[in-house]
Amino acid sequence: MPDAAPEAEWDAGDMGCGELALELQSRLDRLRPGQVLKLTARDPGGPADIPAWCRLTGQTLVSQHHPVYLIRRKED
Amino acid sequence: MANKFSVNLTCAKDNTDRATVAFVIANAAVGSGKETLVFLSVEGVRLAQRGYADDIREEGFAPLKELMENFAKAGGTILVCSPCFKKRKLDENNLVAGAVIAGGVKLVEFLSDGSPCVSY
Repeated sequence: MPDAAPEAEWDAGDMGCGELALELQSRLDRLRPGQVLKLTARDPGGPADIPAWCRLTGQTLVSQHHPVYLIRRKED
Repeated sequence: MANKFSVNLTCAKDNTDRATVAFVIANAAVGSGKETLVFLSVEGVRLAQRGYADDIREEGFAPLKELMENFAKAGGTILVCSPCFKKRKLDENNLVAGAVIAGGVKLVEFLSDGSPCVSY
């Protein structure tokens, strides 16, 4: 199944850990349920942290090809 | 009873006693069948570099390198605080066995079911 087409993109650069989590939450909040954010995150902790963040917050990790992640916003 | 156990370690050569005992306890946990995580942060991230712990040997304990190797062989996971690691300009391509660079979110997830955590 092809990756979803993103409605928004964000290049987080080297941002990671708590700073990334907070900003990611804010960015997902601006989307409508079902919309997809294309995130580019180069922090070496991303491959462990971003899937964990999605599981904790109930968002869907559509794909993960570090440093690029597609995240679908959960339903309200 | 939670089947997970976490050890938070903030020391390396600045306190080799704490660093050693942290892995002794981690090995007790993994050896007792617990899914065990050692979270290295602050100075503790230096232990994730291959070779760094080779000369750490506290009297009365096994060498730290041996403790860490045994922990990894038993299936233990070492999470390495990403911002702490980057701050010290360490080499992500020279990690010890069992070590994974991660941020705080991964630790939060591991602990979020009420799993116990001890700190050194």
